[in-house]
Amino acid sequence: MPDPSFFSVVAGSAEPIYRQLVAQVRRCVAGGQLRAGDELPSVRDLAQSLAVNPMTVSKAFGLLEAEGLVTRRRGLAMVIAEQHRRPQPAADRIDLLRPTLERAAGEARQLQLPAAQALALFKTILNEHEGE
Amino acid sequence: MSASRNDMASPCVSLHGLCASFGAQRVLDGLDWQLTSGQVVGLLGRNGAGKTTLIETLLGVRDADAGQALLFGQPSHALPDAVRARIGYVPQRSDLFEWFTADQLLAYFRSFYPRWNDAKVRGLMSRWDIARDKPIGQLSGGQQQRLSIVRALAHEPDLLVLDEPVASLDPAGRRDFLGELVDQVVDRGTTIVFSTHILSGLERVAVEVAFLTGGRIALHAPLDELLESSVRLGGVPADIERFVAEHSLQALSRDARGPVVARGRDSRAMPPATPTVSVDPATLEDLFLALTA
Repeated sequence: MPDPSFFSVVAGSAEPIYRQLVAQVRRCVAGGQLRAGDELPSVRDLAQSLAVNPMTVSKAFGLLEAEGLVTRRRGLAMVIAEQHRRPQPAADRIDLLRPTLERAAGEARQLQLPAAQALALFKTILNEHEGE
Repeated sequence: MSASRNDMASPCVSLHGLCASFGAQRVLDGLDWQLTSGQVVGLLGRNGAGKTTLIETLLGVRDADAGQALLFGQPSHALPDAVRARIGYVPQRSDLFEWFTADQLLAYFRSFYPRWNDAKVRGLMSRWDIARDKPIGQLSGGQQQRLSIVRALAHEPDLLVLDEPVASLDPAGRRDFLGELVDQVVDRGTTIVFSTHILSGLERVAVEVAFLTGGRIALHAPLDELLESSVRLGGVPADIERFVAEHSLQALSRDARGPVVARGRDSRAMPPATPTVSVDPATLEDLFLALTA
Protein backbone atom coordinates (compact mmCIF):
# COMPACT_ATOMS: atom_id res chain seq x y z
CA MET A 1 0.00 0.00 0.00
CA PRO A 2 1.42 3.39 -0.94
CA ASP A 3 2.14 5.71 1.94
CA PRO A 4 0.11 8.98 1.82
CA SER A 5 3.42 10.74 1.15
CA PHE A 6 3.46 8.88 -2.18
CA PHE A 7 1.06 11.58 -3.43
CA SER A 8 1.79 15.25 -3.89
CA VAL A 9 -0.11 18.30 -5.04
CA VAL A 10 0.83 21.85 -5.93
CA ALA A 11 -1.38 24.68 -4.72
CA GLY A 12 -1.79 27.67 -7.02
CA SER A 13 -1.74 25.61 -10.21
CA ALA A 14 -4.34 26.07 -12.94
CA GLU A 15 -5.08 22.35 -12.54
CA PRO A 16 -7.51 21.75 -9.66
CA ILE A 17 -6.05 19.63 -6.85
CA TYR A 18 -8.51 16.78 -7.35
CA ARG A 19 -7.42 16.50 -11.00
CA GLN A 20 -3.76 16.44 -9.97
CA LEU A 21 -4.53 13.47 -7.71
CA VAL A 22 -6.48 11.63 -10.40
CA ALA A 23 -3.70 12.16 -12.94
CA GLN A 24 -1.10 10.85 -10.50
CA VAL A 25 -2.99 7.63 -9.82
CA ARG A 26 -3.68 7.21 -13.55
CA ARG A 27 0.05 7.48 -14.32
CA CYS A 28 1.12 5.16 -11.51
CA VAL A 29 -1.42 2.54 -12.60
CA ALA A 30 -0.31 2.88 -16.24
CA GLY A 31 3.31 2.51 -15.18
CA GLY A 32 2.60 -0.46 -12.93
CA GLN A 33 3.73 1.27 -9.73
CA LEU A 34 0.20 0.72 -8.46
CA ARG A 35 -1.37 -2.65 -9.29
CA ALA A 36 -4.58 -4.56 -8.77
CA GLY A 37 -5.30 -4.97 -5.08
CA ASP A 38 -2.99 -2.18 -3.90
CA GLU A 39 -4.77 -0.11 -1.28
CA LEU A 40 -5.16 3.65 -1.44
CA PRO A 41 -4.79 5.66 1.77
CA SER A 42 -8.06 6.66 3.44
CA VAL A 43 -9.61 10.00 2.54
CA ARG A 44 -8.75 11.30 5.96
CA ASP A 45 -5.12 10.18 5.95
CA LEU A 46 -4.51 11.58 2.50
CA ALA A 47 -6.29 14.85 3.28
CA GLN A 48 -4.24 15.16 6.46
CA SER A 49 -0.94 14.38 4.82
CA LEU A 50 -1.49 16.75 1.88
CA ALA A 51 -3.26 19.39 4.03
CA VAL A 52 -6.14 19.55 1.56
CA ASN A 53 -9.88 19.48 2.09
CA PRO A 54 -11.21 15.91 2.50
CA MET A 55 -13.97 16.75 0.00
CA THR A 56 -11.28 17.31 -2.61
CA VAL A 57 -9.81 13.87 -1.95
CA SER A 58 -13.29 12.27 -2.04
CA LYS A 59 -13.94 13.94 -5.36
CA ALA A 60 -10.70 12.52 -6.79
CA PHE A 61 -11.51 9.03 -5.47
CA GLY A 62 -15.01 9.24 -6.94
CA LEU A 63 -13.61 10.10 -10.35
CA LEU A 64 -11.05 7.28 -10.14
CA GLU A 65 -13.84 4.88 -9.35
CA ALA A 66 -15.91 6.15 -12.28
CA GLU A 67 -12.92 5.61 -14.56
CA GLY A 68 -12.62 2.03 -13.35
CA LEU A 69 -9.17 2.57 -11.87
CA VAL A 70 -10.13 1.81 -8.29
CA THR A 71 -12.79 -0.21 -6.53
CA ARG A 72 -14.64 0.86 -3.43
CA ARG A 73 -15.16 -1.74 -0.72
CA ARG A 74 -17.59 -1.10 2.07
CA GLY A 75 -15.75 -0.04 5.21
CA LEU A 76 -12.35 -0.84 3.76
CA ALA A 77 -9.66 1.08 1.93
CA MET A 78 -10.16 1.61 -1.81
CA VAL A 79 -8.05 -0.69 -3.96
CA ILE A 80 -6.68 -0.56 -7.48
CA ALA A 81 -9.19 -2.41 -9.67
CA GLU A 82 -8.83 -6.02 -10.68
CA GLN A 83 -8.05 -5.47 -14.37
CA HIS A 84 -4.88 -3.45 -13.68
CA ARG A 85 -2.51 -6.35 -13.17
CA ARG A 86 0.37 -5.20 -15.32
CA PRO A 87 1.74 -1.94 -16.68
CA GLN A 88 0.05 -0.58 -19.79
CA PRO A 89 1.85 -0.82 -23.16
CA ALA A 90 4.52 1.81 -23.67
CA ALA A 91 2.48 3.42 -26.46
CA ASP A 92 -0.38 4.17 -24.05
CA ARG A 93 1.97 5.45 -21.43
CA ILE A 94 3.71 7.80 -23.83
CA ASP A 95 0.27 9.20 -24.77
CA LEU A 96 -0.21 10.22 -21.14
CA LEU A 97 3.05 12.15 -21.24
CA ARG A 98 2.22 13.93 -24.47
CA PRO A 99 0.19 16.90 -23.12
CA THR A 100 2.93 17.83 -20.67
CA LEU A 101 5.59 17.65 -23.36
CA GLU A 102 3.43 19.68 -25.74
CA ARG A 103 3.29 22.40 -23.13
CA ALA A 104 7.05 22.21 -22.63
CA ALA A 105 7.60 22.33 -26.41
CA GLY A 106 5.43 25.44 -26.66
CA GLU A 107 7.47 27.14 -23.98
CA ALA A 108 10.75 26.07 -25.63
CA ARG A 109 9.52 27.67 -28.88
CA GLN A 110 8.60 30.88 -27.08
CA LEU A 111 12.09 30.89 -25.57
CA GLN A 112 13.54 30.23 -29.03
CA LEU A 113 15.51 27.26 -27.74
CA PRO A 114 16.92 24.90 -30.38
CA ALA A 115 15.42 21.40 -30.22
CA ALA A 116 18.79 19.80 -29.44
CA GLN A 117 19.26 22.00 -26.40
CA ALA A 118 15.75 21.40 -25.08
CA LEU A 119 16.17 17.64 -25.56
CA ALA A 120 19.55 17.66 -23.83
CA LEU A 121 17.96 19.39 -20.84
CA PHE A 122 15.13 16.86 -20.72
CA LYS A 123 17.68 14.04 -20.77
CA THR A 124 19.67 15.61 -17.96
CA ILE A 125 16.53 16.02 -15.86
CA LEU A 126 15.45 12.42 -16.50
CA ASN A 127 18.85 11.18 -15.35
CA GLU A 128 18.85 13.38 -12.25
CA HIS A 129 15.84 11.46 -10.96
CA GLU A 130 17.01 8.04 -12.08
CA GLY A 131 18.30 7.07 -8.63
CA GLU A 132 15.11 8.04 -6.75
CA MET B 1 -30.66 17.61 18.79
CA SER B 2 -33.16 18.30 16.07
CA ALA B 3 -32.17 22.00 16.00
CA SER B 4 -28.80 21.27 14.45
CA ARG B 5 -30.48 19.12 11.77
CA ASN B 6 -32.66 22.02 10.72
CA ASP B 7 -29.60 24.19 10.36
CA MET B 8 -28.24 21.98 7.63
CA ALA B 9 -30.71 23.42 5.17
CA SER B 10 -30.69 27.06 6.32
CA PRO B 11 -27.69 29.31 5.80
CA CYS B 12 -25.49 29.72 8.88
CA VAL B 13 -24.31 33.13 7.70
CA SER B 14 -26.69 35.41 5.87
CA LEU B 15 -25.80 39.01 4.99
CA HIS B 16 -28.17 41.40 3.22
CA GLY B 17 -27.35 44.89 1.99
CA LEU B 18 -24.59 45.27 4.53
CA CYS B 19 -22.99 48.75 4.64
CA ALA B 20 -20.12 49.87 6.83
CA SER B 21 -17.82 52.89 6.78
CA PHE B 22 -14.51 53.99 8.13
CA GLY B 23 -15.03 57.72 8.71
CA ALA B 24 -16.10 59.06 5.33
CA GLN B 25 -14.96 55.99 3.44
CA ARG B 26 -17.59 53.39 2.65
CA VAL B 27 -15.93 49.98 3.08
CA LEU B 28 -18.93 47.67 2.65
CA ASP B 29 -21.47 48.86 0.13
CA GLY B 30 -24.67 46.85 0.11
CA LEU B 31 -22.96 43.51 0.47
CA ASP B 32 -24.97 40.29 0.13
CA TRP B 33 -23.45 36.94 1.08
CA GLN B 34 -24.70 33.55 2.14
CA LEU B 35 -22.80 30.63 3.67
CA THR B 36 -24.44 27.26 4.14
CA SER B 37 -23.43 24.68 6.74
CA GLY B 38 -20.32 22.67 6.08
CA GLN B 39 -18.80 25.04 3.55
CA VAL B 40 -15.11 25.89 3.71
CA VAL B 41 -14.70 29.30 2.13
CA GLY B 42 -11.62 31.42 1.48
CA LEU B 43 -12.40 35.15 1.48
CA LEU B 44 -9.95 36.86 -0.85
CA GLY B 45 -9.34 40.57 -1.26
CA ARG B 46 -6.49 42.99 -1.49
CA ASN B 47 -5.11 44.99 1.41
CA GLY B 48 -7.73 47.49 2.51
CA ALA B 49 -10.55 45.78 0.61
CA GLY B 50 -12.48 45.50 3.87
CA LYS B 51 -12.02 41.84 4.79
CA THR B 52 -11.60 42.58 8.49
CA THR B 53 -14.54 45.00 8.46
CA LEU B 54 -16.68 42.37 6.76
CA ILE B 55 -15.71 39.72 9.31
CA GLU B 56 -16.25 42.02 12.28
CA THR B 57 -19.63 43.16 10.98
CA LEU B 58 -20.65 39.60 10.18
CA LEU B 59 -19.87 38.61 13.77
CA GLY B 60 -21.56 41.64 15.29
CA VAL B 61 -18.27 42.89 16.77
CA ARG B 62 -18.82 46.04 14.72
CA ASP B 63 -22.14 47.76 13.95
CA ALA B 64 -23.31 48.02 10.38
CA ASP B 65 -24.51 51.39 9.00
CA ALA B 66 -27.25 49.55 7.16
CA GLY B 67 -28.28 46.06 6.22
CA GLN B 68 -28.67 42.85 8.13
CA ALA B 69 -26.26 40.17 9.39
CA LEU B 70 -27.76 36.90 10.57
CA LEU B 71 -25.84 34.03 12.19
CA PHE B 72 -27.83 30.82 12.48
CA GLY B 73 -30.89 32.95 11.82
CA GLN B 74 -30.24 35.41 14.67
CA PRO B 75 -29.17 39.08 14.29
CA SER B 76 -25.43 39.05 14.91
CA HIS B 77 -25.41 42.21 17.06
CA ALA B 78 -27.70 40.58 19.63
CA LEU B 79 -26.80 36.91 19.69
CA PRO B 80 -28.24 34.66 22.41
CA ASP B 81 -25.47 32.91 24.41
CA ALA B 82 -26.43 29.54 22.97
CA VAL B 83 -25.74 30.80 19.45
CA ARG B 84 -22.59 32.64 20.50
CA ALA B 85 -21.24 29.36 21.89
CA ARG B 86 -21.46 27.84 18.41
CA ILE B 87 -19.05 30.37 16.94
CA GLY B 88 -15.26 30.41 17.05
CA TYR B 89 -13.36 33.54 16.03
CA VAL B 90 -9.67 34.09 15.46
CA PRO B 91 -9.12 37.82 15.00
CA GLN B 92 -6.30 39.19 12.90
CA ARG B 93 -4.73 40.97 15.80
CA SER B 94 -4.41 38.95 18.94
CA ASP B 95 -6.98 40.15 21.47
CA LEU B 96 -5.60 37.97 24.25
CA PHE B 97 -4.99 39.44 27.68
CA GLU B 98 -1.26 39.89 27.70
CA TRP B 99 -0.79 39.65 31.45
CA PHE B 100 -2.55 36.27 31.68
CA THR B 101 -0.65 33.05 31.16
CA ALA B 102 -2.02 30.70 28.49
CA ASP B 103 -3.40 28.42 31.22
CA GLN B 104 -5.15 31.30 32.97
CA LEU B 105 -6.59 32.54 29.70
CA LEU B 106 -7.98 29.14 28.74
CA ALA B 107 -9.43 28.60 32.23
CA TYR B 108 -11.12 32.00 31.95
CA PHE B 109 -12.72 31.27 28.58
CA ARG B 110 -13.65 27.75 29.62
CA SER B 111 -16.10 29.21 32.11
CA PHE B 112 -18.16 30.85 29.33
CA TYR B 113 -18.85 27.78 27.27
CA PRO B 114 -21.15 24.84 27.91
CA ARG B 115 -18.84 22.63 25.89
CA TRP B 116 -15.05 22.58 26.13
CA ASN B 117 -12.73 19.91 24.78
CA ASP B 118 -9.94 19.62 27.36
CA ALA B 119 -8.23 16.76 25.55
CA LYS B 120 -8.05 18.76 22.33
CA VAL B 121 -6.67 21.78 24.17
CA ARG B 122 -4.01 19.70 25.92
CA GLY B 123 -3.04 18.00 22.65
CA LEU B 124 -2.73 21.22 20.68
CA MET B 125 -0.87 23.07 23.45
CA SER B 126 1.80 20.41 23.60
CA ARG B 127 1.94 19.71 19.87
CA TRP B 128 2.18 23.41 19.05
CA ASP B 129 4.67 23.97 21.81
CA ILE B 130 2.91 26.89 23.51
CA ALA B 131 4.32 27.79 26.92
CA ARG B 132 1.48 27.45 29.41
CA ASP B 133 2.84 29.44 32.35
CA LYS B 134 4.46 32.47 30.69
CA PRO B 135 2.57 35.76 30.41
CA ILE B 136 1.02 35.87 26.92
CA GLY B 137 2.72 39.22 26.27
CA GLN B 138 6.06 37.37 26.30
CA LEU B 139 5.05 34.78 23.68
CA SER B 140 6.13 35.26 20.07
CA GLY B 141 3.63 36.50 17.49
CA GLY B 142 3.33 33.02 16.04
CA GLN B 143 2.72 31.45 19.46
CA GLN B 144 0.07 34.04 20.28
CA GLN B 145 -1.66 33.28 16.99
CA ARG B 146 -1.56 29.56 17.74
CA LEU B 147 -3.00 30.19 21.20
CA SER B 148 -5.76 32.25 19.65
CA ILE B 149 -6.55 29.31 17.35
CA VAL B 150 -6.58 26.86 20.28
CA ARG B 151 -8.98 29.14 22.12
CA ALA B 152 -11.30 29.30 19.10
CA LEU B 153 -11.31 25.50 18.60
CA ALA B 154 -11.65 24.50 22.26
CA HIS B 155 -15.43 24.88 22.46
CA GLU B 156 -15.93 22.94 19.20
CA PRO B 157 -17.67 25.65 17.21
CA ASP B 158 -20.04 24.92 14.34
CA LEU B 159 -18.89 28.09 12.59
CA LEU B 160 -15.23 29.05 12.62
CA VAL B 161 -14.25 32.51 11.39
CA LEU B 162 -10.58 33.32 10.97
CA ASP B 163 -9.10 36.65 9.92
CA GLU B 164 -5.72 36.16 8.23
CA PRO B 165 -5.02 33.11 10.40
CA VAL B 166 -1.59 32.24 9.04
CA ALA B 167 -0.11 35.75 8.84
CA SER B 168 2.46 35.18 11.58
CA LEU B 169 2.96 31.44 11.18
CA ASP B 170 6.03 29.91 9.52
CA PRO B 171 5.53 27.23 6.82
CA ALA B 172 5.60 24.38 9.37
CA GLY B 173 3.09 26.25 11.52
CA ARG B 174 0.83 26.80 8.50
CA ARG B 175 0.96 23.13 7.73
CA ASP B 176 0.01 22.17 11.31
CA PHE B 177 -2.79 24.66 11.23
CA LEU B 178 -4.15 23.39 7.89
CA GLY B 179 -4.02 19.84 9.30
CA GLU B 180 -6.09 20.99 12.25
CA LEU B 181 -8.67 22.54 9.91
CA VAL B 182 -8.85 19.26 7.99
CA ASP B 183 -9.62 17.46 11.28
CA GLN B 184 -12.36 19.97 12.08
CA VAL B 185 -13.96 19.35 8.71
CA VAL B 186 -13.71 15.56 8.91
CA ASP B 187 -14.74 15.19 12.55
CA ARG B 188 -17.35 17.88 12.92
CA GLY B 189 -18.33 19.25 9.51
CA THR B 190 -17.47 22.71 10.80
CA THR B 191 -18.35 25.64 8.55
CA ILE B 192 -15.14 27.59 8.06
CA VAL B 193 -14.53 30.99 6.57
CA PHE B 194 -11.11 32.56 6.54
CA SER B 195 -9.73 35.71 5.01
CA THR B 196 -6.38 36.00 3.38
CA HIS B 197 -4.81 38.60 1.12
CA ILE B 198 -2.00 36.53 -0.28
CA LEU B 199 -2.23 33.14 -1.90
CA SER B 200 -0.88 31.45 1.18
CA GLY B 201 -1.57 27.78 0.64
CA LEU B 202 -4.89 28.18 2.42
CA GLU B 203 -6.61 27.49 -0.89
CA ARG B 204 -5.63 23.87 -0.35
CA VAL B 205 -8.46 23.51 2.14
CA ALA B 206 -10.92 25.98 0.62
CA VAL B 207 -13.56 24.29 -1.48
CA GLU B 208 -15.07 27.68 -2.29
CA VAL B 209 -13.58 31.10 -2.80
CA ALA B 210 -15.21 34.52 -2.50
CA PHE B 211 -13.65 37.71 -3.85
CA LEU B 212 -14.29 40.95 -1.95
CA THR B 213 -13.87 44.12 -3.96
CA GLY B 214 -15.62 47.48 -4.17
CA GLY B 215 -17.45 46.73 -0.92
CA ARG B 216 -19.21 43.67 -2.30
CA ILE B 217 -18.64 40.00 -2.98
CA ALA B 218 -17.78 40.14 -6.67
CA LEU B 219 -17.85 36.37 -7.09
CA HIS B 220 -18.37 33.33 -4.86
CA ALA B 221 -17.87 29.97 -6.53
CA PRO B 222 -16.45 26.48 -6.00
CA LEU B 223 -12.71 26.80 -6.64
CA ASP B 224 -12.47 23.70 -8.86
CA GLU B 225 -15.32 24.85 -11.05
CA LEU B 226 -13.83 28.31 -11.33
CA LEU B 227 -10.41 27.01 -12.35
CA GLU B 228 -11.92 24.66 -14.91
CA SER B 229 -14.09 27.27 -16.56
CA SER B 230 -11.70 30.22 -16.57
CA VAL B 231 -9.02 31.16 -19.08
CA ARG B 232 -6.32 33.81 -19.26
CA LEU B 233 -6.30 35.57 -22.61
CA GLY B 234 -3.39 37.33 -24.27
CA GLY B 235 -3.39 39.66 -27.27
CA VAL B 236 -4.43 43.18 -28.20
CA PRO B 237 -7.70 44.39 -26.62
CA ALA B 238 -9.72 44.49 -29.87
CA ASP B 239 -8.82 40.87 -30.72
CA ILE B 240 -9.57 39.73 -27.19
CA GLU B 241 -12.92 41.50 -27.22
CA ARG B 242 -13.90 39.77 -30.44
CA PHE B 243 -12.69 36.43 -29.08
CA VAL B 244 -14.71 36.84 -25.87
CA ALA B 245 -17.85 37.64 -27.88
CA GLU B 246 -17.37 34.80 -30.37
CA HIS B 247 -17.05 32.19 -27.63
CA SER B 248 -19.74 33.74 -25.40
CA LEU B 249 -17.28 34.13 -22.55
CA GLN B 250 -17.90 36.31 -19.54
CA ALA B 251 -15.07 38.80 -19.01
CA LEU B 252 -14.05 38.84 -15.34
CA SER B 253 -11.26 41.42 -15.39
CA ARG B 254 -12.03 44.70 -13.73
CA ASP B 255 -8.76 46.44 -14.43
CA ALA B 256 -6.95 46.88 -17.75
CA ARG B 257 -3.59 46.52 -15.97
CA GLY B 258 -4.30 43.05 -14.60
CA PRO B 259 -4.42 39.80 -16.58
CA VAL B 260 -7.40 39.35 -18.90
CA VAL B 261 -9.46 36.54 -17.46
CA ALA B 262 -12.74 35.26 -18.85
CA ARG B 263 -15.09 32.52 -17.80
CA GLY B 264 -16.92 30.11 -20.05
CA ARG B 265 -20.39 28.83 -19.33
CA ASP B 266 -19.22 25.30 -19.78
CA SER B 267 -16.53 24.03 -17.50
CA ARG B 268 -13.56 22.28 -19.11
CA ALA B 269 -14.36 23.41 -22.63
CA MET B 270 -11.38 25.65 -23.26
CA PRO B 271 -11.75 27.56 -26.52
CA PRO B 272 -8.80 27.03 -28.88
CA ALA B 273 -6.21 29.79 -29.26
CA THR B 274 -6.08 31.79 -32.50
CA PRO B 275 -3.03 33.35 -34.19
CA THR B 276 -3.88 36.64 -32.45
CA VAL B 277 -5.24 35.48 -29.08
CA SER B 278 -3.45 33.14 -26.68
CA VAL B 279 -5.52 31.00 -24.31
CA ASP B 280 -4.15 29.51 -21.09
CA PRO B 281 -5.88 27.93 -18.14
CA ALA B 282 -6.28 30.55 -15.41
CA THR B 283 -4.74 30.08 -11.97
CA LEU B 284 -6.23 31.34 -8.71
CA GLU B 285 -3.65 34.13 -8.79
CA ASP B 286 -4.89 35.22 -12.24
CA LEU B 287 -8.45 35.22 -10.94
CA PHE B 288 -7.42 37.12 -7.82
CA LEU B 289 -5.62 39.82 -9.82
CA ALA B 290 -8.44 40.09 -12.33
CA LEU B 291 -11.31 40.18 -9.84
CA THR B 292 -9.92 42.26 -7.00
CA ALA B 293 -8.42 45.17 -8.94
